Amino acid sequence: MNLKELHEKKIKDLLDKIQILNLPLLEREANIEEVFSVLTSRDHVWITDEKNGKKLVGIITESDVLHSLAPQRLPKYVFSKRHGISLQHGTVKTAGDIMHKRLITCSPTDSVGEILRIMINSGLRRLPVIENEEIVGEVTIHHILQIVLGKR
Amino acid sequence: MLLEIGIALLLAKLLGYAFEKIKQPAVIGEVLSGIIIGPFVIGKMFDMQYLSPETEGLAQVGIVLLLFMSGLEIGLEEIKTMGKNGLVTAIFGVIFSFFSGYIVGHIMGYDLVVSIAIGNIFVATSVGITVRTLMEMQVLNSKVGELIVTSAVLDDVIGIIILSFTLGQGNPYTLGAKMCIFFASFMILLFLIHKIGKVKLHIPRFGLTVAIAFAFIFSALAKGLGLATIVGAFFAGLVLSNLPQRRRMIGFTRQIGNIFFIPLFFVWVGASFDFHALEDLGILVLLFIPMALAGKIIGCSLGAKISKFKGRDALAVGIGMMPRMEIALVIVSTEVAREIFAEPLAHQIMAGTILLVIVSSLLTPVLLKMVYRKEGK
Repeated sequence: MNLKELHEKKIKDLLDKIQILNLPLLEREANIEEVFSVLTSRDHVWITDEKNGKKLVGIITESDVLHSLAPQRLPKYVFSKRHGISLQHGTVKTAGDIMHKRLITCSPTDSVGEILRIMINSGLRRLPVIENEEIVGEVTIHHILQIVLGKR
Repeated sequence: MLLEIGIALLLAKLLGYAFEKIKQPAVIGEVLSGIIIGPFVIGKMFDMQYLSPETEGLAQVGIVLLLFMSGLEIGLEEIKTMGKNGLVTAIFGVIFSFFSGYIVGHIMGYDLVVSIAIGNIFVATSVGITVRTLMEMQVLNSKVGELIVTSAVLDDVIGIIILSFTLGQGNPYTLGAKMCIFFASFMILLFLIHKIGKVKLHIPRFGLTVAIAFAFIFSALAKGLGLATIVGAFFAGLVLSNLPQRRRMIGFTRQIGNIFFIPLFFVWVGASFDFHALEDLGILVLLFIPMALAGKIIGCSLGAKISKFKGRDALAVGIGMMPRMEIALVIVSTEVAREIFAEPLAHQIMAGTILLVIVSSLLTPVLLKMVYRKEGK
């Protein structure tokens, strides 16, 4: 596929039903073990405000889990609440305890070129697609590669 | 100057690491390396001058980055969602420790401004050592642990707000007006940031530089209005903590701060330690340290008690809130730089605060373990 063509494609053209049905979703109150079990096969899980809800409140990625599993090391200066969050010390119970709260999102009308720029600038590998405050899909590098290879 | 900075960084890293190994805060190691490189040890032996306007400038940058990082880490959202118990405990701790500092000044016969300045030093807790101890004892995940972490965060905020009132210069009316200007600009910025957050703004590296620049500009604004620099840096961090790029800003600030500027601030604190101050420090220290510790223990235990904690748990909260570290050192050096204390006193207060930092962080783990051991029986 021509890259210029790819850059101009709209996000809504990439979203399909199967992908939406397959979104890794859990609610904020979900037990941490549920989070782990989703992450055994996925790279991340989106967190919504309630069970079966679609209002996005956070994300948990592999690296968050890594931090909660590793032996805790406190920072040299400025201890803050998040440094006390560790599985080992029992301060991690639900998805809400380790999720990232402020998310960078995109909307169905954004173009692929725009969101690739966003991903690079913000150091992100996946973006939630948000419409009317609800998650309607996600864009990951996997999806974009599938399109490049014409598999989608 | 170049050689001094190089040696200072190496020494600070080495001693900081050594202190972490013996489960003490790296900050103490860094202050000690400052004492070593200062005019009384290496400085005397090799005719080396660590204290210079240049190193002071670097230390200043360190202060701004440290406070900016605090503001970012604490975060406005987190403050808003904090429970009542944390607030009560923090407020009691702040009031009692502030007045215990004030009383020290009063007993020693210092004037009002000096007594208030001592009160300021006593306010800000630093619970890193407490958290480490609670983790070791496997009790971080308890009501006590939770309350300590919450109220320690709040007491930094309250401490800095008090500081902006008490360190302000000028008569109360103009000062009041200036404070209004500062907090109004804080609110306006917050509103703007909120708006910007709605529009999609994506911060590449360019934005990180802008964030740091913002910290310095806000510090300058605070200073220009006669408040303290650190008030500006801290509030700049709070303002920006609402952006989704918060983690990246924290990471970036931690990186440039931790590697270079912040250790140089603590080295600078150590290098300003004057051994002559120790000669007639006796009475002051006998009052200074016990009062600083007692203020927090009594205040926070009382706060915890009001929040329906049992006797021993409440005591554990009080002890856990006792250690002073980064912010106390920042406050004392700000006050010394403002020449609030007359000459011999400035060095004594500085030395007293350094000793307070060391004593409180040695004592906290021991006392905490004692309280929990008794409870176990």
